[in-house]
Parts: sequence; C-alpha cells; structure tokens
Amino acid sequence: MAADRDAGDESGMIGRPLPRKEDDPLLRGLGVFIDDIQEPPGTLHAVFVMSTRAHANVVAVDIAEAAQAEGVVAVYTGKDLAGRIKPITADIPQPGYQPVNRAVLATDRVRFVGEAVAVVIAENRYLAEDAAELVRVDYEELPSVIDVDQATGPDAPRLHEGTRDNVLFQASYRTANVETVFASADHIVRDTFQSHRLAVVAIEPRGCMAVYQRRNDSLTLWSSTQLPHTVRTAIANLLDWDETRLRVVAPDVGGGFGGKCSVYPEELIVSFLARELNAPVKWICDRREDLMTTTQGREYRFDVALAFKRDGTLLGAKAKIDCNIGAYPSFPLGASVEAGGAAIYLPGAYRMGEYAYETRAITTTTCPSGVYRAVAAPVASLATESLMDRAARELGLDPAEIRRKNVLLPSDLPYTNAVGMRYSTGSFATCLERALAHADYVGFRRTQTDNRLRDGKLHGIGMANVIEHTGQGTLRYRQRGIIYVPGFDGAQVKVEPNGRAIAWVSQCTQGQGHLTAFAQIVAHELGLGMDDVTVIEGDTAFGPYGTGTFASRGAVIAGGATLRASTRVADKIRRIAGHALNVSAGDLKLADGRVYLSGTSEVSMSIREVAAIAHSMDARALPESDSFGLEATEYYDPAATPTSNAAHVAQVSIDPATGLVTVVNYVVAHDCGRVINPLIVEGQVHGAVVQGLSSVLSEAMRYDETGQPITVSLMDYLIATAADAPDITVLHEESWSPDTAGGFKGVGEGGVIGVLPAVANAIADALVPFGCKINRLPLLPQAIVALMGSRSAGSLEDIHNP
Amino acid sequence: MPQRHKIELTVNGKKLQRLVEPRLLLSDFLRYELRLTGTHVGCAHGVCGACTVSINGSTARSCLTFAVQMDGAVIETVESLAPRGPLSLIQQAFHEHHALQCGFCTPGFLLSTREFLARYPDPSDETVRMALRGHICRCTGYVNIVRAVRAAAAKLKEERTGHGS
Repeated sequence: MAADRDAGDESGMIGRPLPRKEDDPLLRGLGVFIDDIQEPPGTLHAVFVMSTRAHANVVAVDIAEAAQAEGVVAVYTGKDLAGRIKPITADIPQPGYQPVNRAVLATDRVRFVGEAVAVVIAENRYLAEDAAELVRVDYEELPSVIDVDQATGPDAPRLHEGTRDNVLFQASYRTANVETVFASADHIVRDTFQSHRLAVVAIEPRGCMAVYQRRNDSLTLWSSTQLPHTVRTAIANLLDWDETRLRVVAPDVGGGFGGKCSVYPEELIVSFLARELNAPVKWICDRREDLMTTTQGREYRFDVALAFKRDGTLLGAKAKIDCNIGAYPSFPLGASVEAGGAAIYLPGAYRMGEYAYETRAITTTTCPSGVYRAVAAPVASLATESLMDRAARELGLDPAEIRRKNVLLPSDLPYTNAVGMRYSTGSFATCLERALAHADYVGFRRTQTDNRLRDGKLHGIGMANVIEHTGQGTLRYRQRGIIYVPGFDGAQVKVEPNGRAIAWVSQCTQGQGHLTAFAQIVAHELGLGMDDVTVIEGDTAFGPYGTGTFASRGAVIAGGATLRASTRVADKIRRIAGHALNVSAGDLKLADGRVYLSGTSEVSMSIREVAAIAHSMDARALPESDSFGLEATEYYDPAATPTSNAAHVAQVSIDPATGLVTVVNYVVAHDCGRVINPLIVEGQVHGAVVQGLSSVLSEAMRYDETGQPITVSLMDYLIATAADAPDITVLHEESWSPDTAGGFKGVGEGGVIGVLPAVANAIADALVPFGCKINRLPLLPQAIVALMGSRSAGSLEDIHNP
Repeated sequence: MPQRHKIELTVNGKKLQRLVEPRLLLSDFLRYELRLTGTHVGCAHGVCGACTVSINGSTARSCLTFAVQMDGAVIETVESLAPRGPLSLIQQAFHEHHALQCGFCTPGFLLSTREFLARYPDPSDETVRMALRGHICRCTGYVNIVRAVRAAAAKLKEERTGHGS
C-alpha cells in the first residue's frame, strides 16, 4: 500500500498546503467558462420558451410569428422533437419505484413553470429572445400540487401517466427490536421537521455549445456539467448516436454543488440542433431561467422520534420521511436519491442499534429536484441533533454531555450502524472535544444566564456531530437502486519524453482544486515537482471513462485512481532505472526529479533519463519484461464507503427587536482522513458552512399556491454575502481510511451537514427563555420574531426560569 | 435592424471606436465584441457583482450599463490588472490565501478590492466584509477572501512605507 509506504514521509507532496495551480488564469480573467469559449463562425443561439403554468395541457403552440421574426433560423416545439429525441427516464422498474418519462420539450402537458415547450434558434441571443416572446402557447390549466400533502391527498391529480399515485419511490426498513426499545424507553422525544426548497445557484448558470462535423457525423458538446461522460452516454442513447463520435467537454465550470449533476434536456436539444441545422448551436441559461429550471433540492418533512434511557443513552430512532422531488426525477440519480439518502443518514455519529424508517419521494408541479450539496444529510442531521438537545434538556443533561454519552468512541470502531453503514475509522469524540474546547463551551455556559440577554442581544451556543458518507462506489449505488451512476472513476498517468507527467482524470473540477490536489498525488508518487505535473480533466476525448464530480467523491475515487496509476508508473521508473543502474528496483526511491538508491545519493539518475530510455531516445535498453512508454491507466472503485466526520460549534447572537441572527463564532473540528492539501480542505469546509448557513438564515425558493415560483431573481432569492458570514476556525484530525487507496476520505459536503443543526441549536439555545422549539426552516428574522411570540425586547429583562 | 450609435471609449488603456445598438449591454460589448471574457455575468440583474468593471475610476455593474452610455468613458476590466508578468499584489494575495475556488466571481472581487483598498488602506475584517457585500461568492464562504484582502492591505502598506521602515 502506498499509504503505508508514505507514512511519516516529510518530503512528499501529499499533505502540503500548496496554493493552487489553477489560480493564475482565473485571476487574470483568462478562465474559459462555457460562455467564454470563442464561438465558431455561424454559431446559432438557442432560447427556450418556458411554460408559464405549473400544470396544464398544452393545447396548441403557435410559432408562426416567431418563425418569421428577424434573424430566426428555426423554431421547434415538443411535437417536432418527439420521436427525434427519446424521453429521459431516470429509473428502471424495480420494487419501490415508479419510473416516469420526461420529454425533452413538453408535448401535451407541462408539469412545472419553466418547463420548455419550444426552442427558438436565431443568429444572436438578442434576436432569439425577441422571437421567443412571439411564440404563443395555448394552455388548458390543470390543478397544481406544490407540496407533499396536496400530492398525496385523496383528490390529488396524478401527474404522470402509468403511475398508481404521485409517490415515485418508497422504501421502509426496521431492525428486529425497534418496537421493544421504544416500548421500554424511559424517555421519547419526537417532532416533525420541515425544511424548505432551495435553489442551488452556482454563480455561473448552466449552458452548453455543440459543434457538429458533418464529414464524420461527429459532435463536440461543451457543457457546464459535473458529469461529462454521463452526458455523452445519454446523448448517444437518447439521440441514437454512435458514442465513439461524441465528445463532451466540461470547460472551466463556475461551481456545481449538484445543480450541474444531471443530464438536462437543453444538452440533448442543443446537440440535436447542431446536427439538424448543421451549424454550431449555443445556449446560455440566464439567472431567472436558472432559478426556474436548474434542479433544486432539500425540501423534506422528517417525522422523527428518538428513544432514550433516563441517563441519556440513545436506544433507537424511528423516522417517517417525505421528500418533494418536483415534477420529474433527475437523470442519472433518479427518484430515490434524496429520500433514500435521508433515511440512511439519520443515525448520525451515534451508537444506536435499533432503527425503523419509512421514506417516500413525491412528485409535485414544481421544478425538478436533484442532488443539492449534501442532499438529505443536513436535514437528517438537523432532526437528530435537535432532538438530541431537547432530550438533554428534558433529562437534565448538558447538550455536550448527552453527546459524549452516545457518540462513537475509538473502542466502538469498526462500527456497523443500524442500516449497515460501516465506519472503519474516525475521530468522532475527539472532534467533539476539540471543537468544544476551541469554542470555550464551558466558559460560555458559565457566563450564560437563564434569560440569555446580554448587551441587548440574546446569546446561544449550539453543536452538532457530523458524518459524511463520501466516495460512494459502484456497489453503494447498486444497493441504493441507482442504476445509471457508474460509481468508479479512472486516471491515466503518463510521463512524457521530457520527464514531466500528465494525468488525464475522468472527473471534472468546478472549483474543488483537482488540478492541484491530483498533481500533488502524482508528484508525490513520482518524486517530481509540482511544476512537472499537469492534470487535465473534463474531456471525454482523453483518458478513461468515469462517473463525475459530486457526493464528495473527488479525492477518494479520482484521487485513488490517480494514486494507483501513479504507483504503477513509479514502479516502472524503478524497474527501468534499476536495469540501467544495475541495482534492484526495490531499493530505489523517487524524489526531486531523480531516482536514488535508498540511503545514498551516489547512485542515481534523473527521471528525464528514465523517460528517454522508455521512449527509445537513449542508448540504454529497457528491461526485457517491459514495453515502451511510461504510462498507466487505472480505474478505481473503493471497497467500502469511507465516512468523514466532524463536530461543529456555533455561537449566535439575536437582536430581539428584529429577529436578526448573527453568527459570532464558528468552529469546525474536521476529519476527512488523509489530507492531500489542507488549504483546499479548509476552503471546502468554509464554503460548505457558509452555503448551509445561507440556506438557514436567508435563502428560500418559494412558490405561490398555483405553483408559480416567486423568487426568480437574486433580489428575491437571498444569498449570504461577506457581511452575513462569520469567520470560521477549522481544526484538522486525520483518521486515514483503511478502505480507500491512499487513506483519503471526501470533504465537499460535511460543512453543510454540520451547520444546519449547529446554528439551529444555537438559536434554540438563545431562545430557551421563550420555551419554543425549532422545527422549521428557514429561520428568517420574521420567523425568529414569531418564535419569540408576543414578548417584546423590553420585557425580556423580566424573563426568569422559563 | 435598430440604428447603431458611434461610441469612442478607452478600454484597458486602448482607445476604441465602435458602432453599437442602443440595447447592447456593456457586459456583452466587453465579452463578445472585445472578447474580454474575464468579466462574467452571474445574474444580469445587478446583484451578484461578477460583472463588475471600473468606469471612469469607479466600480460599476457592466450588466446594468448600456454600451451606448460609455461614449468618452475610460473602462478597466480584470484583464488590465496584470496584463503580463507577475500577478498584481491583490491577485497574488488571493492566490496565496486560496481566496478563489471556481473563479467565476473573482474578477469582480478583485476590482472592488482594488478600489476599496485605495480608499481604506488599513481596514478591519468588519470593514472588508461590508465593502465586499455587493459580491456573491458561492464557493469560498468569504473567509479566505477576507484574509486575502487584509493580507493585501498589509503588503500595500509595507510598499508605501518602504521595506524595513
């Protein structure tokens, strides 16, 4: 194992806080995002005509006037494309699932506001938008259903043909003794938690451009996507196209967070149009369209009960979970990804043997949902951690104490939880103690009084233990019923004749620093400098097939593939050098661009010389058993799902007059196994915490009762700015994973999972005098004021012993 | 075809003359006509700040400005910060402090930071946060942006006062 060999190696590149290789062009304005690519001459621009109704029959689409408008080349309706592009079907028939189809342009029925009913192609974007306004759609309105209760009510309209009801996925599970422990428990806490719909809002909206080559019927699609290979395969399948003639490139991508983790109708239509019109076709989503059509997420209702012994020992949990997945399941993750994940995440970082759940994914006439950063885990964590605090108060324990009693200890590991998730390594208890100590939890509690009021503000502190299932591989997706996500990734590592390395990796980065982190892995294994290694991703024309970048899988799976391929190249370098130097390959060490005999600097040669031998540019011969070239390709699929862990502690102050919440101190003790680059890990944690904080305190995607989205600008959908965000302290622990190549675990999502409960618990703590419970997000100022009820700031001084 | 209007302006030190439609946004003019694609459009309604450029020495949203309004204007975009050679001091601070991830919003932050530090050379964290609240970054959580701006301020101060003094 490379992991063992490198233990304690101070000279290596893995683990160093290196500034990123990708920064320079981005800082100079030389990044190439989808809309920055120079269009080939003759490029046409597509604009979609979006449904203005949440649920309606499409009676007629009149394109006559639009087709005559200035600069318009073509207009297509759903009927024109039916039969030319197959519908998207995200699931297969299997127990618990009701697969449904999504036509790429609506044909006879629309199911959410924003669903495309026609596409206008014109010489430029301005003219295409003008013409799109001239398309007349005649709708016959149908009743809309915007939440899970409406969609499952006795009179609910069925949204999709061929289904029994609007429940597109359901599953249930129970351990043997769950009823027994609930019957015998000393104390049960129960509540229903409601989380609200969120838009993803990567700062770069989606977009794509297709260039068709008639001479060989081939196509290149540039798309702002997290899944270039999956997009390519989907185009091949749904447009009946030879996949070897398709190339999908993810250029610089301006954030993903799950919003670019689906194959979208626009990618298929733009590809189709480029061939049909024999011209390059480009489409760039604007922000309003993005807020209406990019997958949203995290709208759940969790009805949860936890059973405790009188001393605070957690015995078991029961959960009933409903998820509003919008109008269509998204491809490739399907209908179950949110609801299934919600149930799996609930046990958290605790020792708890008994568990029962029922979970459902319900379709409604709202924008389709998808895998927004951390998916269901933040809300599952909110439910568990909130009830943990309430149990503590009701049992007369401190919130820290009840967690100490139940959090997984080193002696518990490896631990297989009630739903079969195996935690091999982790620093659950250590992270909790370190975060509490750094936040001076004891000191805070010592000075906190019952009325919480200090300096005219209410003060509270909250904590959460976090687990993050990262790097899920092929088996995990099959177990979850998710068929169209491959699960593995690949890397091809190659040393060129000049002794420098290039790595083609099957994923694509949206800001996570892959071009640096994976270069560190290659440089570490090959003994090269960072300037000697180039990582290239996001292009299906080069390197191996793979799954994509989401679900905290980059470091684990693409990192693992890169490590293994690098190790094989390093081994070949040793063999060639051993042969040339007439020493045993096993005694050679790679460092500083050279191959050394261990323990001496006398016998050595440069990697450049080795590369010359490997490419027949040197008089010396290869070992007999080796062939030319200096490269290796590895596909990697981890044996088990590595679990990262963390503890978050948030301290808040609340202005009782306005309900405005300020986070005054935030500490994360974090463990994602072996750290490749601590700078990047901290950046991931900071970003996830603030994104999650924004979802608690200001963001909300709202629909009116007819299903009209009413937060379709960034003036209505409020994202935290620097003025709303706290400074964050990140403390590192490193419990290397024995289940993954290199010992890596993932890091992208844990910050969100921790911040929802930590901040909600801090707010609840500040509001203890009001005797209120927090079970609903978002916690906007007006919600806080409502929680405080009729008690005004003036009377707060009088509150004692609530 | 609507009537086009002649504008004369200076962009990144270069004098230009162009005919523009009245409705052409400055952001589109810079990006598609001049191919200065470092200025990004994140919302097109003046909230996110990614399209920020400098117009006559003050930062402004290029997505809320028409090109036709720019007759006689002096415009600077992110491409002017370090056209060749090493990064500018502020860019370097963003690099060293990992103050960018996807990098889409970064050009706007850089231009506002430059203007801000020229006016407030010794800012607190709080001032930096207030000054940059017209920009949305979805990746970094702003923590490292604030650290980079503070570090850049310290470096600029060092430069002003001379090394070792």
